[in-house]
Parts: sequence; structure tokens; C-alpha cells
Amino acid sequence: MDALTARLRPALLGAALTMLSCMAQAQQASEAAVKAAFLYKFPGYIEWPAESFPTTETPFVIGVVGADEVAVELEKLVPGRAIGARRIAIRRLREGDSPRGVHILFIGRLDAAATRTLVRTAHAHLGTLTVTESERGLEMGAAINFVAYEDRVAFEVSLDNAERTGLRISSRMLAVARRVVPRG
Amino acid sequence: MSLMQIINRSLRRKVTMLVLATTVSALALSGLALILYDLRSYERLSTADLTTQGEVLARATAPALTFSDPRTAEKDLSVMQVRPRVRAAAVYDRDGNLFASYTQPGTAAEPFPRHAEPTGVGISRGEIQIFRPIVENGEPIGSVYLRAAYDPWTRLFDYMTIIGLVMLVSLGAATLISARLQSAVTAPVLDVARVSREVMERRDYSQRVRKTTEDEIGQLVDSFNAMLAEVGRRSDALRDADQRKDEFLATLAHELRNPLAPLRNALEILRIAGSDPEKARVAREMMARQLSQMVRLVDDLLDVSRITTGKLAVRKSVIDLQGPLRDAVETVRPFIEARNHTLQLDMPREPIPVEGDRTRLAQVFSNLLNNAAKYTMPGGRIVMSARMDAREAVVSVQDNGIGLDPASISRIFEMFMQVDRSLERSQAGLGVGLTLSRRLVDLHGGSVEAKSAGTGKGSEFVVRLPLSLARLTDGEVVVAEEAPRRAARRILLADDNVDFVTSLGELLAARGHDVRIAHDGAAALETAAEFSPDIAFVDIGMPKVHGYEVARRIRAEPGTASCVLVAVTGWGQENDRRRAREAGFDRHLVKPVDPEEIEAILASY
Repeated sequence: MDALTARLRPALLGAALTMLSCMAQAQQASEAAVKAAFLYKFPGYIEWPAESFPTTETPFVIGVVGADEVAVELEKLVPGRAIGARRIAIRRLREGDSPRGVHILFIGRLDAAATRTLVRTAHAHLGTLTVTESERGLEMGAAINFVAYEDRVAFEVSLDNAERTGLRISSRMLAVARRVVPRG
Repeated sequence: MSLMQIINRSLRRKVTMLVLATTVSALALSGLALILYDLRSYERLSTADLTTQGEVLARATAPALTFSDPRTAEKDLSVMQVRPRVRAAAVYDRDGNLFASYTQPGTAAEPFPRHAEPTGVGISRGEIQIFRPIVENGEPIGSVYLRAAYDPWTRLFDYMTIIGLVMLVSLGAATLISARLQSAVTAPVLDVARVSREVMERRDYSQRVRKTTEDEIGQLVDSFNAMLAEVGRRSDALRDADQRKDEFLATLAHELRNPLAPLRNALEILRIAGSDPEKARVAREMMARQLSQMVRLVDDLLDVSRITTGKLAVRKSVIDLQGPLRDAVETVRPFIEARNHTLQLDMPREPIPVEGDRTRLAQVFSNLLNNAAKYTMPGGRIVMSARMDAREAVVSVQDNGIGLDPASISRIFEMFMQVDRSLERSQAGLGVGLTLSRRLVDLHGGSVEAKSAGTGKGSEFVVRLPLSLARLTDGEVVVAEEAPRRAARRILLADDNVDFVTSLGELLAARGHDVRIAHDGAAALETAAEFSPDIAFVDIGMPKVHGYEVARRIRAEPGTASCVLVAVTGWGQENDRRRAREAGFDRHLVKPVDPEEIEAILASY
């Protein structure tokens, strides 16, 4: 056993070093890229109301407000990919633009009032998943909020806010969430 | 140890061994088949089981992998603690790097593969490991790894233990069952053994074994009982025969003793009244009568021995049955007249051709006539008739005597059987007449039958003989009637019975022949060489040189080659005759030799 361990030790050490360098690089390069990837992956665990997609041709629209790096990463990520059978469209919005027809609305680090306004506007009709990256995003009405946890990107979910817009989030996704605000 | 104990023990052991052997071999075979099947399916089942768990884990850890949450993934993997067989589990990300891992508590922490490997199963050194892809929303996002104990030998050992236990229990049950079985089998067998022992000890053949089952044992009991019955019957028959033989011996002694007193008296009369020719004649006649009675008895006795040894033989030629019938009447007539019976003869005119032995057939009919005269009160009536059917000659001897009761008709032909023992001893005879008669008629291809209306109502004996198809030649009849010619002969008598050969020599010399006597084979050859006899009577069983050799040498000498050679033997079988012919004998006589037979031979050359 000792002989085996002795022989394996250099290999293990090498593996650990490789892993560490990769993680550091990823963290540096891509908090925005990770968030973009998460945004792209959320739909796999969420059910939209039927009226959100009038035709089979209706693309899946991800709207981004106040987070250009994320929008850039999304635009890099999307080509050649689809959600279900739907083409993915990235739409950069400004404050005041109508989020109608947007399926996921990502709100960057805007001030609290602007965020609230955007969330409220988005929730005026069903079928828009609001995602924020603010410290109190859920309290400001968002369904999902990105948080930092142990040097990596995590998220928290408000089932209350999600269901208000007619969305249903899979329990499998909730298992990964840092925090889940229940209904009611 | 008694016989029963041995039977009991060995049967019990056999039945037990049978049941145990059946049980053990059935269990061992089925156990072996089960183990082989299980070892084959164990690998398949292990793989399938681990694959299923891999799928479950893949599905559970997919969200954690999707959202890069190794802690959740580890939590997901830790559900494997409820499956102790699984030693380690891990999740690798899309690039094949280790993402999360779980090691079962209590197992040696062996390193996980550094990189994910292609989907598949591997078995090595008592472990089985699989890689399964993690696919989420149609996209491969990583792979799951599982490693579990794979130990068919422990399983095999477990199986062996179970089969061993089952076998122990089964053997116990089998022993109980065999104990039941063996009592079902051995009880009747022991019964048979007990009864047979009792039969042996008490000679009581009326015992029977009780039959309890209808199976093979039941059949055994049946056959045993049947055998007992048969043995009992034979034992009775033997006792019967034995008793008859004893009575026969008593009768025989009596019959042989009877003539001796008159003979001695007659000798005494001859001695006293030597000068009185009338008294001497009466005495001689009495001696002749008594002697012929004794000769008849001894002849009967010889015939009895020939019957029992199967050596009774007849010499057949085509003859007229009237001949032996006449002979029989002539023989018995004095006795019939002495009893004051009337004899009626009812014969056809034409000859009755049969193939037979005149002397023996005459013996048959004289026996029947003698019986009729004997078993009919004086002054009775006897009818002898003969007729011809299409194929048979039928001779009937009928009387109005004491008759036969129906029960004894069937036994009347048995040896030493006598119907009425109250008859005077002088009339009794030996009780072999009918046995002999039937045997002789059998040898002629015929049958003899007894009939009676019952005791006191007379009886009838019917003899049937097949008619001969050959024509009767006149010559034979003429020869039978021809009176013997008389001429002086040179005769050699060779026999080691000195009295017999001396008296016979005197008799022949008295009749004018030139006689020489020898008492052994060597002397016979010497005498023959110097005497050149016309006829030599040679006993076969002589000392020094036996009769066959004597005959060969006499034939070989030129001086005696033309001599007529007559063999004298105790046995008249065809085999003996052939041997005598081959040695060079011309004729063959069976002892006891009657001077008349010798006279007949002398006359025919």
C-alpha cells in the first residue's frame, strides 16, 4: 500500500496543480461567462406558461440590462445552440425599454429603484423570468438572484416571485440553489 | 445373531442408503446447477445493478454539475452510503476532470481515476467499476463513476453453506422416511422368514404368511404360500410313496418267504421217501410250482427296477396280436380254473397286425387276466374280447368281481398299489402288475384304461394298440409255430456266476450238447482256442478279460472266427446291443437267461 501511494504521489500532485490553475483561470476570466452559461442553462429546469411561445418558431429571448460583459458572453455562447428546439435570441435592453416578449430578463448591478421598476415592469405580464445579481435581488422582486459563494457563482431562488409570473421551477434545480424563498 | 436380525439390518441399511443416496444426489445436482447458474448471472446482475445506480446518480447530480456545485454533487453521491456494496462514487465534468467524489466509510480510500474514461464496465481484483455519461437537456455534461465490491467467491461460499444446511435437514427427513419405508418392506419379509423357519422346525406345511399388500412384496408372499402348498403336496406324496414302498418290501419278503417252506418240505419228502416214485413225483411237481412262482416274483422285481431306472425295453416286430392273447390265456388258464371262473373268449377270425413284442404283450394280457381272476370271488365270470377299429386294436378284459371305487380308479396304475389288501397273501403279488402293464402298453404307443361301475360291480380293463400298416408275413407266424430242431452242438459257456453256469452246463449236456465252461475272460479265450465251439455264450462283466474283448479275440482267431457269439448282459438298452454288435456278437440275451431262450437260439443255428 505504501509502495503504491509512493508511486501515485507525483501523479496526484500533478493532477491537483492542474486543477488549481484551471480554477484560478476560470475565476479570473469568467464570472460573466459563468453567469451567461447559467442563464443559458436555467430554462432546462423551468417551465414557461404556454402563451409565452405563440408559435413553434418563436425564439427564446434572453434580455440583458446593465450587464454588457454578460451580454457579450451570451452572444459568444449562443451561436449553434438552442433551448429545446428554439433558436436563442439575445436582446440588449436599456432602462425604460419594454421587456415584453423577453423570457429571461437579466438585470445587472443597477440601483435598487431601477431594479425594482424593471422587475415590476417585467412582471406586468406573465412569462418573464427575472434574474438579478444584487445583494437583495429577491427582496426586490426577482425570481433568481446570483450570489457569490466560496469564490464561485451560486444562485438563490424565490418561488414566490417565480410563480407570480406563471413560472415553475424544477425541484432538481432548487437542490443546487443556495437559498430558496418558499411560496407565500 | 439370528437370520431375521441380519435380514432386518441389511434391508434397513439398504433402504436407508437408497433414500439417502437419492436425496444427496438430487440436492447436490440441483445445488450445483443453481450455483453454476448463479455464478453466470452474478456478473450480469452486478453490472446491471451498478449501471442502474449510475443512471440514478447521473440524473441526481446533473443540476449540481450544470451549476458547478461540487458540494451538492457530493451530497448527491453520499446517498450511496445506503448501498454498502458500492465502495466509491465520483462525478467528472464535461472536460473529464474530477468534479465531486464519495468514498464509502470503512473502505480503503483508493484513488479515483484522474480523468473520466469512456462509458463501460470493468472487472478486476474483486471490484467492478463503471462509467456512465451524464446527459442533461440532451447535452452530455459529464460522467459518473461507480466502484463496487465484486466477490463471487463469498457468494459461492454462502451458497455452499446454505446447500449444506438444506442437505443436513433433508438427510434428517430422509432418514425418518426411510425408517417408515423399511418397516413397510421388512415387516412382510420378516413374516416370510418367520413362517419358513417354523415350517423347517415343525415340518408343518399348512402354515401361510398373511398377505398385507398388493405390491411386489404381496406377490412374494403369494408365491411363498404357493410354494409352501406345493412343497406340502410333494411331502405328502413322498410320504405316501415311502409308505407304499415299505408295504411293498413287507409284501416282497413275505412273497419270497412263502415258497421256501413248501420247497424245504418237498426236499425233506424226497429225502425220506426216496424209493416211493409217486411221492417223489408229487414233491418234484410241488417244487417246480413253487420255484416258478419265485421266478415270476423275481422277474416282476427286475421289471420294477427296469421301470424305475427307465430301462424297460421292448423289441418290436410286426406280429398277430392273437399270438400274445393266446399265450396269456394259456399262462393264466390254470389259475382261472383253480378259482372256478368261467372264461369267455371273443376273438375275431382274422389276424390282428400290430407292431409289438410278443412276450411283453403276453405279459400285459396275462397280468390283466390274472387280476380279473384274483379280484373276482370264486365261480365268477371273465370275458376277454378283441376287435379292430379303423386304426386300433381294442382288447377288453371284463369281470364281475369286486370292482373299483371311483377314487381308486385314478391311482390303480401307480406303483405298489393294491386294491384289496385283505386278500390272501398267496394271491397278493407285488402290486406292480398294472404299473408294468401300462408302461409296456405305453412303449407300444397304446393306452390302457380302467372302468368300473363301482365297488362290487365288476371292472373292465381296455387296452388300445395302434394297428400296424405293414402286411403280416405268413413266414413269421410259421416260425412262431415251428417246433425247435434238436441237434448236438459244441457250446462254450463263459460266466463268473459258477452255480448258474454249472447248472446250465449240466442241463445242456443232459440234452446231448458238448459243453465247456469258463469262469473268466482269459479261461474263456483258452477254452475257445482248443475247443472251437459252434456257439459261445459270453457274460460281458467277467474278471480278467471282459466280454467285449473276448468276442473281439474269438472273432480275430481263424479257428474260431465262424463261431456264433451270444452276449449275456444285465442291460438290454439299444446302446448295449450296439456295443455288443460292434464287438462281434451275433445275438444278445438279457439276464436272467431262461434255458428255453438258449434252446431257441441253439435251434435257430
